[in-house]
Amino acid sequence: MQLVRIVMASSKLACLGVTALLLFSRVGIAQSSTSLEDLPDWGGVWQMIGPTVFDRATVEPPDGRAGRPGVREHPPYNAEWEAKYLENIDRVRQGRFPDPLSTCGIFPGFPRTLNLPGALEFVVRPEQVWILTEDGPSITRIFTDGRSHPPPDELWPTYSGESVGRWEGDTLTFETIGIKGAGDTILDRTGLVLSERARITTRLRRIDASTMEARMIIEDPLALTEPWPVTKQYERLPEGSRMFDVACAENNRNPVDESGRTLTLDADGNVLDVDIETRVE
Amino acid sequence: MTKDKDPSRIVRPLLVAALVFACGSTVAHHSGNMFDREQTVELTGTVKDFQWTNPHIWIQVLVPGAEGQMEEWSIEGGVPNRLFRAGWRPTSFKPGDEVTILANPMRDGAKAGAFIGARLADGSILGRFSE
Repeated sequence: MQLVRIVMASSKLACLGVTALLLFSRVGIAQSSTSLEDLPDWGGVWQMIGPTVFDRATVEPPDGRAGRPGVREHPPYNAEWEAKYLENIDRVRQGRFPDPLSTCGIFPGFPRTLNLPGALEFVVRPEQVWILTEDGPSITRIFTDGRSHPPPDELWPTYSGESVGRWEGDTLTFETIGIKGAGDTILDRTGLVLSERARITTRLRRIDASTMEARMIIEDPLALTEPWPVTKQYERLPEGSRMFDVACAENNRNPVDESGRTLTLDADGNVLDVDIETRVE
Repeated sequence: MTKDKDPSRIVRPLLVAALVFACGSTVAHHSGNMFDREQTVELTGTVKDFQWTNPHIWIQVLVPGAEGQMEEWSIEGGVPNRLFRAGWRPTSFKPGDEVTILANPMRDGAKAGAFIGARLADGSILGRFSE
């Protein structure tokens, strides 16, 4: 009997040991020795500098605004994805481009998270960094505890994607994979899209007291012919600035019909567009 | 009252186009194709309701029409968070306020528009407003 107990206890210990080994080898936690004191101060409330054109370096015309007819950027798309983009640009011209945000249902997703007009926060912790956005709202979690991306059978496309990173001095470098692609997300309202196979490497750094910078290198074996560099900057809003709800469904008087057309409702929920006589409940 | 009793009267199209360009679109979460950015209407009337809500604020304003009847206009503005940071407050418009509003009208003539600017009864200005 005593022997049986010893064997059972030993097997439990072995089981626990193996489990612990698997856990730590899988996610690599306990590898991080960075303390909060060693990390940069990214506190405060921030806002993107400039309009919501994702790649301002290639936008045409140079003062073009996302959503205005005829505005485009020049990512290194292959022929197939350039054709997709041209289709989207044409739908923008017709007022029929489906921006997922217009339905007030789902948050924008990465990397559009870094291209939003509302405020955002960068919350630095030793084991994770969180990017919180008003628009959406959304949370991007970047694991900095030494773990790797999950294996393929534990990864599926999500709006936030899957981000792991590491600190290099005052710079956070992180890689994001597993994002939702074309059909579910866009990068901006000119109609820019990526595939679910995209991999975004972002170097995030506070370049001065009032400016954060995100330097992205986007690779996408399905959509791009070469890595696509995009840089975004964010200014620190005045001390005391607050983040607010952007609860889009609160009073959305601009539903989108089946054709992709955006309607306008009066205060009682009746469609104002003169060629449509419908009440939207 | 709408300028010259014509709710769809076009005023200062070039100036307003320039101002809209300078201050950007007031529409954030959806296509703005329904609004004619090249034109503006000037509406003088009484605030019926001010919806300080997401994803956009709305000003419901009663304006005397060409025949003297009251017409309700729906004026769509920006997002509360960014308007707040620009100095707006949930009380910026109150029911009963006498206001003059500049807006880009809807292309199809419906009584709605995208907010450009307003002058309140006390003379204060919100947004972009010039005579």
